[in-house]
Amino acid sequence: MRVDVDRRTEFEALVKAYEKAGGDVSKFLDRRIASIIISGDKVVGVNNVPGVELVPHTIEHGVHAKMIIKKGTKLSFPIHVCTGYLQRDGYQKVIFDIVVEEDAEAHFVAHCVFPWTEQFTHDALMNVVIKKNAKMSYSDEHYHSEAGTVNLITVSRVVVEEDGLYVNRFALTKTRVGKMRLDFSVALKDHAVADILARVRASGNDEVDIHEKVDLVGVESRAMLSTIVVALDKAKARVVNEAYGRGEHSKGHVKCEEISKGSDVLVSTVPILKVFNDKAELTHEASIGRVNAKQLETLMSKGLSEDEATELIIKGLLG
Amino acid sequence: MLRLQNVSLVRDSKFILKNINLTFNEKEVHVIMGPNGAGKSSLAYVIMGLEGYKPTEGRIFLDDRDITEFKVDERAKLGIHLMWQEPVRFRGLTVRQYLTLGGKMKVSQSELEEVLHLVGLSPSLYLNRMVDDLLSGGERKRVELASILLLRPKFAIMDEPDSGIDVLSLGMIKAVAQRIIQQGGSLVMITHREEMVSIANVAHVLCDGRIIESGSPEKVMRYYKIFCDVCDHTNVPAKE
Repeated sequence: MRVDVDRRTEFEALVKAYEKAGGDVSKFLDRRIASIIISGDKVVGVNNVPGVELVPHTIEHGVHAKMIIKKGTKLSFPIHVCTGYLQRDGYQKVIFDIVVEEDAEAHFVAHCVFPWTEQFTHDALMNVVIKKNAKMSYSDEHYHSEAGTVNLITVSRVVVEEDGLYVNRFALTKTRVGKMRLDFSVALKDHAVADILARVRASGNDEVDIHEKVDLVGVESRAMLSTIVVALDKAKARVVNEAYGRGEHSKGHVKCEEISKGSDVLVSTVPILKVFNDKAELTHEASIGRVNAKQLETLMSKGLSEDEATELIIKGLLG
Repeated sequence: MLRLQNVSLVRDSKFILKNINLTFNEKEVHVIMGPNGAGKSSLAYVIMGLEGYKPTEGRIFLDDRDITEFKVDERAKLGIHLMWQEPVRFRGLTVRQYLTLGGKMKVSQSELEEVLHLVGLSPSLYLNRMVDDLLSGGERKRVELASILLLRPKFAIMDEPDSGIDVLSLGMIKAVAQRIIQQGGSLVMITHREEMVSIANVAHVLCDGRIIESGSPEKVMRYYKIFCDVCDHTNVPAKE
């Protein structure tokens, strides 16, 4: 990776925070791996490999990056993306425009690291186009400060063209959340597939608002939207899963699991399913409430306390 | 030694267990037989102290210590463990995590491998598998048997360990029971299988919440065949 000389100190600080959060910094130093590091409104480093064009530029309060995976490119290594903010207060805007061209395959491993933030908003917009027969997966893991005052806004607008595949894994399970709004919207053309899973652990007075929407436009398009939220203490969580079946033989399944523990927790889930084609098929499942009593008693019958058993069950659920 | 003294359980105004008096001595294997709905699983839950199964009357003693008010985890810490008839699944937990209780229980790799071999599971294939819906019912039961063994119970309650397991594997269940006894524990096994009664020191027949016959396995089996196999008495299962 080419690291901006003037940003070396910032790079090192970010790397430390990134490692502390569980990231593998060696990926950023390996020239075979495409990567980009953003700190605040600066691009600290970027590395391109054949078939990948990562073109970032600064905008007011942030960075706008165009990421193109060229036609037919199949990468041996995932593309690593690190977005950090090392100040206590502020606002960061990040826009990613990603295009995965025809027959290309790309896997992204993204980490968002905000280790010391207090009054801070991270505002991310991701526009994704997955061209015909292309595949893309995006694994996005967040590490926030324990102050619980991060304001996270993540909006993703995804179009998957014919025979394309989009997989997204969002996780905010190891630190406090603060306040978050996660907004996914995916449109699927003929034979396109989407698989989206968001996992969040909210505690304290965290507020979680997740809205996932899939539009099954194409013939035999398929989608799976899953959300797992664990809400503890006084956390609030609201999940809306929407699926629209328009294409013939399109199939969609939405699944929401919310576990609450704490007398002041407030959790809710709303599935919205609409079929516009009598050959489309949509299903949903939802569970909401305390940890499964039989799981709890099973672990307690092996000697774990209720809190230890709950923690282990939650650990398994959140991965 | 575990002792149940005049234990009764009433749920929804119905007697589920009535005046149960049982004594389980050290290194003894007891087998409890009885028709569906007789109260066998309820008896297991009462001994384990599950929520909703606190005796309405009577006391439970472990080594003369009254544990009637003890919660399930407190009883487990004293060495009482339950192998469930239908063990629950855990999404996201591997067999290794489950057996070691998320790493809380210190178990060596060789010990893990040894118990898995004993229950007929290959460690290399199973230790990193999830204890979720992808395990068959029989596999899940074997994992549960391994878990019980690793806990080295002072008193093990095995609720139909042989249901959903092929006849050829009954020897494995007997081996697990024998291992528990070798480790100095005792156990009670609930079963419908005649083949399993042979491992017991003492057998009992439970019907309509009452122990109606106790004694040597041979005597109890004779009783069961003469009176229970032909009995048209119907037990009303308790609500879970």
